[in-house]
Amino acid sequence: MSFFGFDAMLARDRGHSASAPGFGQTPDAFAGLGGGVAGDDDAIDFEDTYDGLGDGLDETDDAFNDDTFGGGPASQQSVGKDFDFAGQTSKIAHTLQEEQMLYQTQQPPSHQQRPPPPKPSKPARTGYESYHDPNYIPQLEARADIWGLKPKHPVPAKQPENQAPPPPQPAKKMMSLEEVEAMIRAQTLQHEEPAPVLIQPQQAQPPPLPVHPHQQVPHSQPHFPGIPGQGQFVPQILQRPQQPQQPQQPQHAQQHGPHQRSGSRHQQVHAELPGHSVQAPPVHHPTILQRQRPPPNEPSIQQHRHAPPQPTAQRPASQPRQILQNPSRLSGQGQPMAQPGPPASRGPAPGHSRGPSYPSMVVTNPEQLLHLSKEEREAFLAEDAKRAKRNHKIALLSKDNGLMTPQDKNFITRIQLQQLMTATGNLNEQTPEAAIAEDFYYQVFSQIRGALRQTPHQPASQFAQTYLFQTNGRYGPGRRHGRGADNHMQRMEQQVQRAVEAAKAKPKAKQLTIEGSLGKISFSNSKTPRPLLSMKRPESTDKQPSKPHKVSVADRTETLRNIENVYMTLMHMEDHERTLPAPINQDSDPEAIQRHMEWRTKIETLHKKLWDDIKIMEPINPNPLTPHPFIAILSHAKGKKAIPRIFRHIDEQERITILTMVVIHLDKLNVVSHGIATPEEPLSPALRDEIELFLHSVVPPLYAHIFESPLNIIIGLLGLILERNNVHVVARTKIGMSLLIMLISRAELLKQPPEINVVDWENWTELYNRLFDAVEPILPLIFPGSINDTDDMYVWQFLAAMGVGASPEQQQRLVIGVKDRVMETVGVSKALPPEMAGARLANVNLFMRAIGLDVELLG
Amino acid sequence: MSGEPNKEESDDNAEPLDLVRLCIDEVVIVKLRGDRELKGRLYAYDSHCNLVLGDAEETIYITDAEEEGDKVRTVKKQCEMLFVRGDSVVLIAPLESIR
Repeated sequence: MSFFGFDAMLARDRGHSASAPGFGQTPDAFAGLGGGVAGDDDAIDFEDTYDGLGDGLDETDDAFNDDTFGGGPASQQSVGKDFDFAGQTSKIAHTLQEEQMLYQTQQPPSHQQRPPPPKPSKPARTGYESYHDPNYIPQLEARADIWGLKPKHPVPAKQPENQAPPPPQPAKKMMSLEEVEAMIRAQTLQHEEPAPVLIQPQQAQPPPLPVHPHQQVPHSQPHFPGIPGQGQFVPQILQRPQQPQQPQQPQHAQQHGPHQRSGSRHQQVHAELPGHSVQAPPVHHPTILQRQRPPPNEPSIQQHRHAPPQPTAQRPASQPRQILQNPSRLSGQGQPMAQPGPPASRGPAPGHSRGPSYPSMVVTNPEQLLHLSKEEREAFLAEDAKRAKRNHKIALLSKDNGLMTPQDKNFITRIQLQQLMTATGNLNEQTPEAAIAEDFYYQVFSQIRGALRQTPHQPASQFAQTYLFQTNGRYGPGRRHGRGADNHMQRMEQQVQRAVEAAKAKPKAKQLTIEGSLGKISFSNSKTPRPLLSMKRPESTDKQPSKPHKVSVADRTETLRNIENVYMTLMHMEDHERTLPAPINQDSDPEAIQRHMEWRTKIETLHKKLWDDIKIMEPINPNPLTPHPFIAILSHAKGKKAIPRIFRHIDEQERITILTMVVIHLDKLNVVSHGIATPEEPLSPALRDEIELFLHSVVPPLYAHIFESPLNIIIGLLGLILERNNVHVVARTKIGMSLLIMLISRAELLKQPPEINVVDWENWTELYNRLFDAVEPILPLIFPGSINDTDDMYVWQFLAAMGVGASPEQQQRLVIGVKDRVMETVGVSKALPPEMAGARLANVNLFMRAIGLDVELLG
Repeated sequence: MSGEPNKEESDDNAEPLDLVRLCIDEVVIVKLRGDRELKGRLYAYDSHCNLVLGDAEETIYITDAEEEGDKVRTVKKQCEMLFVRGDSVVLIAPLESIR
């Protein structure tokens, strides 16, 4: 049967038949035709015939060939049976594939490179797959199936060549269409005989089988003589001794992973090829059987056909194969015979199939193993498996190794360094401008956080300061973790406390002055009708609801535009500040001085513009329908937030102006006019936020200014509050009360130096009395919430501030006014946990101490 | 509050978005495609009308197809900070002027 002559064809293998799988399968049908002749005289180099298309093959997507072509084992089975034309060839399809693989792996490296081997399949060949890893193998199979079938056509064309007169030699590469057709016709004729068909594929796959084993030997395992019946995978190795053809088996395993796994496929193959079983007595592995078939025919057929043309040089190489492949011989002679073959061809094998990395410690010579004890063998096997596993892992890990060139690495490093520089080195950089331009918000953020403020870098910290206040303002409402805000409250508290202390420190002197002021008490008594003036009260409450309606959309837009202008100018100023030239001295060159002058001029211009932008100098309309533009600005959150930034840029006089403006319009501020809370009607959250924001952004600069002011200014401001505002409204709001606290406590502190201006002091006392009289009627109302509302500290502060400056009689009136609240708070605090109770009582004590009492006395 | 230093901008409102600028840090109503509305504080915007809203409330209007009557259901969602991609923005209006 020519069918079995199959392998014999291989003996002819020329170095590189163009029709070899993996090369010109698709592209080079004609080359295959000519190959028979061409190969004979060696006139044609592979390089000449190979069109290079194989290089362009993109095999990365071969993974889906199964899906597309139905290459799975099951489907292949059905396909093979369904189609007549495929019937014959499909039976040996996998054999063909094997051959192809053999050839491929066998190719000298240089050839191997040309057909780009599917990358993924490489790791599959580490030998690890024989233990596990079903992944790669299907891929291999699919590829072999699809591509392997193709060569059959070119190959048939070859057949005619042998029989028919060889095509004209000169036109080796090119044949006329007629010739090709003729050949194909002839080929189809031949096809009818089953045997040739089988042979043809073999021609297509010249590679000698024997070489295989070597390549695989390193991966999989050394040959183990006569240990049958182990696990599926291991057996392959062990089986070798029994069946001389074993060497091929590993290959099967790889190429036909699925077959091996399932085993069913092999069985199926068996069925398709009857007579196999007969030929192969110990059927360990189906694959083995398939191998066995060809050998019988091989020698003879091969000899006939190809012996003449075959180059002598190649013969020697092919010879051993035949020996190996011939089952009859090997089976008879046993292992030793088989062994010699592999070593001979081992040389080329390592190059392609596996990386050189594999330690060849593996016993390549099975004989060595033969001498090992069973334990040793097992140990060896285990070790080998481990090694294979590790190699596989390494292969997986290192598959991306070397992707980057040194230049790439340098490039990346440079980028990283640059980023580091801009991230950390900005302050010390020569051009902070660049850093700011690159990452403005980060600069601000990092400077506010203070992480980078290692050196007193003046512009930087100044820069940070610019935004520090603003940030506080921004975070202020709602959550008060702004540092400045707490600071402010603390300072206020401290001031009140200091006033209290001071008052306590010299009670004698107080008594004296109070004695003098006794008459004034009578004054205030005489002015007691004054509270009648607070008839204003209903009037003002009427005003409250009507106010928002008065703000027309146009006004509102105008206000918003003003605010934007303010911000724009502010930003220009802050930006300009960063460009501040180096300070000048006597030695400065004229150019530097010139620059400085220009900078000065610019900042002056901006300053003036800012002053105009805040509209503070707009005339005050005594009976306005719309609020003053500046006050309107303050009614917006962003307007409030601008105040601290504005204060940085304006001079003392302008600050007083702003302060005055705020004080005059105190009860027009929405945070004051709408800021009256009662236990029944607490403030809306939005308004509460507004108030908090005002407290944290607007009040601190004002406070800072008041804290520096002399008594006459304090007197003036208090006078303005009393003259221009509804004190009842002011005193019932947090903002108004804060301002009053500031003024009163500042005045109390100013009392202490001996060189008090007596006139001023008189004025102050008069104003104080007026204030006291105005506030007294509403004392029970000044608490914003019910007794359970803990946010009443500022009220106690206010009471304390009032109490410090009050005459004994006024103190008594104060106590009477808030007595209920004091008692309630003390009562409530008893039911509270110690910490909260302590806090509440401390607040009350703030007031009690100011008038020389203590909560303890109430206990 | 309103962005980084920007010297190029002139004071007059040269382009529509300058009006949006006035709404910065104000509560705005934003109408979006797909029957959605947002109400929130406008923290930032850009030339694509990408917006960042704080304390935003999203209202989705859902008309039930089965009921013939103009029954519109609304679903509301609350979000502390919201980025709105500009391509869905239909309208931006300051809340105050709507009231």
